[in-house]
Amino acid sequence: MHIDPLEKKWGYISIGMAGLFVGIIMIDSFIHGIDAPSNVETINSARLHLTKEFAEDNLGVQVDEKGKITVRIVAARYGFFPKHVTVPAETPVTFRWASMDVLHGVHMPMTNMSTMIVPGYVSEVTTSFPKPAKYPLLCNEYCGLGHDHMWSNITVEAKETWQAPSITKTEETGNE
Amino acid sequence: MKPLDEEQKKKIIESPPVGTWTLMLVVGLSFVVGWLFLYYGVFLPRGAVN
Repeated sequence: MHIDPLEKKWGYISIGMAGLFVGIIMIDSFIHGIDAPSNVETINSARLHLTKEFAEDNLGVQVDEKGKITVRIVAARYGFFPKHVTVPAETPVTFRWASMDVLHGVHMPMTNMSTMIVPGYVSEVTTSFPKPAKYPLLCNEYCGLGHDHMWSNITVEAKETWQAPSITKTEETGNE
Repeated sequence: MKPLDEEQKKKIIESPPVGTWTLMLVVGLSFVVGWLFLYYGVFLPRGAVN
């Protein structure tokens, strides 16, 4: 097969660029411990309110005895519950999401927080926010006629002024 | 504009494609610089995800 020398050169450049990008991502993932979020954990979406973890009283921000911050939020047509949470800046925060009904997505503009919320599964993402700000929380998977009204808020406070919620117990997964 | 004679045409065809190389270099470098900016200037400062 004849390939024009110029096309070959362009092919080498393209492969070189792809190799450079993949190399940078791999080195970063090893050195800084950056992994693609992945969590395969099932849950019965029709009985969320009966599970320990996603019962209404257990939603929101919790801090365990080791200082790990976990935010549990339920997505349901058409809102995120609880409607508003406050988390500290410059601190790892683990979000655990569950859908009560259909496929939802969540996206916080100007941050890296973005994931799908698939019914029957718990979506888990750990991230940290570099500076205090107020962010909207938007559903980015079409979930029905009220999809464009499905949003909520997250406030990121300075680490020094953020106060852990009074309830600091963590209900372990215990999901079905 | 005078039409090119055979010798001029041959010279052009046989000369190295400097313009194409320049274009390849400019496109390639722009792509690399753009990617590095998005990765190190936007993605990582917003906080890594795990």
